[in-house]
Amino acid sequence: MADLLNIGTSALLSLQRALSTTGQNIANVNTAGYSRQRVNFATLPPEATGAGFLGTGVKVDSITRSYDQFLAQDVRSRSSSSAGFSTLSSLTSRIDSLLADPSVGIAPGIESFFGALQDVANNPGSIPERKVLLGEANELAGRFQTLDAQLRGLNSEVSQRITTTVSDINALASNIASLNEQVVRATTQSGGQPPNDLLDARDQAINRLAEKVGVTTVTQDDGAVNVLVGNGQALVVGFTASQLQTFRDPFDATRVNVGIAGLASSTDIGRFLSGGELGAALSFRGGVLDSTRNELGLLAAGIAATFNAQHSEGMDLNGQLGGNFFRPLQPAVSGSTGNTGSATVTAALADVGQLTGADYRLSFDGSQWTLRNQQTGATQTGAGPAFSIDGVDINISGTPAAGDSFLVQPVAQGANLFAVELTNAAAFAAASPVRSSTGSANLGDARLSSLAVDSVAGLPLAGAITLTFNPDALGPGVPGYDVAGSAGGPIAYDPATDSGGLAVTLGGLSFELAGTPAAGDTLSIANNTDGSGDNRNALALGALQTAPILDGGTASYQDSYAGLVADVAVRSRQASAAADAEGTLLQQAISARDSVQGVNLDEEAADLLRFQQAYQAAAQVISVADTVFQTLLDATRR
Amino acid sequence: MRLSTAQIFQQGISNILNQQAQLQKTQQQLASGLRVTTPADDPIAAVQILDLTEDLQQLDQFQRNANLAEGQIALADTVLQDVTDVLQRVRELTVQANNATQTPETRRAIATEMEGRLDELVSLANTRDANGEFVFAGFQAQTQPFSRSGGQVLYNGDEGQRFLQVAPNTQLAVRDSGRAVFMDIPAGNGRFDIRADAGNAGTAIVDASSAAANYQRDTYTISFSQPTPADPVTFTVTDSSAAVVASGPYQSGASISFNGASVTFEGAPADGDSFTVPAAPRQDVFSSVQNIIDSLKSSTTGPAASASVNNAMASGLANLDQALGRMLEQQADLGVRLNRIDSLRESNDAFTLQLQETLSEVRDLDVTEAISRLNLQLVALQAAQQSYVRIQGLSLFNFL
Repeated sequence: MADLLNIGTSALLSLQRALSTTGQNIANVNTAGYSRQRVNFATLPPEATGAGFLGTGVKVDSITRSYDQFLAQDVRSRSSSSAGFSTLSSLTSRIDSLLADPSVGIAPGIESFFGALQDVANNPGSIPERKVLLGEANELAGRFQTLDAQLRGLNSEVSQRITTTVSDINALASNIASLNEQVVRATTQSGGQPPNDLLDARDQAINRLAEKVGVTTVTQDDGAVNVLVGNGQALVVGFTASQLQTFRDPFDATRVNVGIAGLASSTDIGRFLSGGELGAALSFRGGVLDSTRNELGLLAAGIAATFNAQHSEGMDLNGQLGGNFFRPLQPAVSGSTGNTGSATVTAALADVGQLTGADYRLSFDGSQWTLRNQQTGATQTGAGPAFSIDGVDINISGTPAAGDSFLVQPVAQGANLFAVELTNAAAFAAASPVRSSTGSANLGDARLSSLAVDSVAGLPLAGAITLTFNPDALGPGVPGYDVAGSAGGPIAYDPATDSGGLAVTLGGLSFELAGTPAAGDTLSIANNTDGSGDNRNALALGALQTAPILDGGTASYQDSYAGLVADVAVRSRQASAAADAEGTLLQQAISARDSVQGVNLDEEAADLLRFQQAYQAAAQVISVADTVFQTLLDATRR
Repeated sequence: MRLSTAQIFQQGISNILNQQAQLQKTQQQLASGLRVTTPADDPIAAVQILDLTEDLQQLDQFQRNANLAEGQIALADTVLQDVTDVLQRVRELTVQANNATQTPETRRAIATEMEGRLDELVSLANTRDANGEFVFAGFQAQTQPFSRSGGQVLYNGDEGQRFLQVAPNTQLAVRDSGRAVFMDIPAGNGRFDIRADAGNAGTAIVDASSAAANYQRDTYTISFSQPTPADPVTFTVTDSSAAVVASGPYQSGASISFNGASVTFEGAPADGDSFTVPAAPRQDVFSSVQNIIDSLKSSTTGPAASASVNNAMASGLANLDQALGRMLEQQADLGVRLNRIDSLRESNDAFTLQLQETLSEVRDLDVTEAISRLNLQLVALQAAQQSYVRIQGLSLFNFL
């Protein structure tokens, strides 16, 4: 009865393995990435007898894991998107809340500033109101600076994040490479049996890598997995891992870029990386942070330029023409750290109305310069030395070397450097520099109204400009005003047709003539000496609050800011919706994978019972074999 | 579908966490009373909120401006009322001085009182507001606008008019220049003035004058002639180029008309008496009073002197009436502006209310909805927790 004993023994041994595998499953119910293992039984080779083939027992053919490659793949790619969007969402929502925060946002600052401006218009000669205005202006500038500082803080945080993520990626890549080696060696040693736990560990490592950056995997024949990132950069090939590295942006010391270690030059592969935390950080920096900073700078530059333009057409309490109220924007130019030539590039603001939020990259190929709009990708080429683009004049001097490049950022520093230049409250130009008067001997009712300054070139006036009505000013019977004190006369004016109002420009001034003058009646324009009670320029400045003067004459200051807020809000909302959606998809993918791969304790309990019963039965088989043998012994003992 | 134990656990937990997050959001909304807590909650509403808040802030500012404008206009109105009262008194005195019973001495006494009134006028015209700015100085608010020099009052200000922004797109004048109020007043009847020649010896006095629409602006001279006392008195009107535009026999009380102008004299002019009729120049109210004072002070006895005083008084009265008319116009204008401010304030108020309602609709939480949502979420969270606990308790191992 040796056969029965053998069969029983083989069953006991096999079932013991099955029980331990079930135990292993139960033990690893909470192990991340663990795949449920299954014992595959097979019959032992049968023994040929005259009566036919006799079974010889059972053996464990293999222990395999419940695993579906495609479901695992799905989870991997969903992890990438989900981790990416939730990182993007959490970063974007921080800008989002910043912009609308009443204590940091720009809108309340603009409102208070213009409120104070109205108070100055109500009482233009009073110093306290002017001091409040300067205070509010500084507060507004402070808001711009604070907001920009927060954004710059986010920028360095993103740099930190990139650096940390890259070192995580490198650690995981090495880990995967070494697991590859272990998997291949173990498979070979075991004669082709799968090293389940090593495979799980490697899958888990790849999943964690996918959360950091989007990956593509290719399984080799020997069981090793190659991992590619970006558009095909190999991160892990067989048993060796390449290393990503961060290096300082050639134009900006506060930024880090991502490249592959060992390449001759620091090639930025950042734009190829997508998905995962690294992809999200890079796309947040390029797509949200930079553009928000630029838009904010653009708004600051717009406010400074338009407000200054009106302010300089006014006159202050000391009778001086108004200068700059805010500090005018200075475009930033930075040369690459790799430049070898001696060229220097300067940029100046030519027309704030044409400014966009774009940065421009100027590079030299040995004979030609190429100016590339980093936002739209549009390029223009030329030999230099001067370029003019979107309201910015760029000038190159010195001798460049081939390969030299410069980054021109017209508005990136706009918010950071936004400041109030005016320090003396009396120097706020609430008044207009000129005023008009009618001759005291006038017999008619000629009037000069709506006097406005178009250009301060001729101001202050050397002397009064006097218009004298002359029925024959432009020839016999052609009436008009003779002009004294300014070039540009005589002015045709026919009381019969023009008495309702005639718009006139003279020198840098514009005004309206109306009424019916008598011959010899005079109107004059003179410097507004001692005009401390004049608030005309303050009113004109106040009107800027709602005037559509930014973005090519379509948006007011507030509109422009609201556009920025809406832009970020929409991005934040999109990112958060995408994060939610990807989170759900990831959950579904995990459910699908775990339905194959996960451990269910009830199932294991059932297995435990099943194998235990089988084990007890097998033990009975041995006992029966023993009884049968004993019976034989007993029979032959006599 | 087969479920793994870890998955059952995980899904239960993540459901509870989701419910908690939603509950927390609702709680935050209820605590702040705001529906939109960050722009991402509702980007369009966020932009609307920015716009509405700015509009509300501006309206608030405009209301303040309107209150200020009201104060400034009311101040000007008070001053002009005082000026009118003074001018009325001067007019009464002028009528009194024109009386035939007056002697040179009594006229000088009247002149003395008028001088006091003139001082009062000048000081009213130099009124300052609460900030110490001169109300009628134009833009030169720190410069005293009216100063006396010899017998004249000079205007040192300019023609600047201050406006305040009292509503979107509405600027309202709150200060008028002294030049417009006190200086640029047409003399005579508004179209032309009549001045008796200083050497007139007759008793002709101007009784009435008027200008028709076809009045031609020029400086005319009306001269009377009576070669011998037996001859009838004739008049000749010449224009500035000495061309005769009208002539005829003079009759007391009959009007003399020429080029749209009509003048009536009373009394008997002497041979060679003449009157100049220039187009009305602009004359300031102070000169008008000063001229009356000067004529009263220099008055003597005799019929010719009496006629001269009468002519001066008639001219003075005409000028005073012009000045009073100007004050009336100015006060009417101020009244219109005050009404305008009232109606603008009302419309600003109405607009503010409307904007606040809109803002509330856009930004504020519907509390009823939020509370019922909160209750629903609480029930859902409790259900999730209870079902989780009960499902977690199920295990085959319990029965082994």
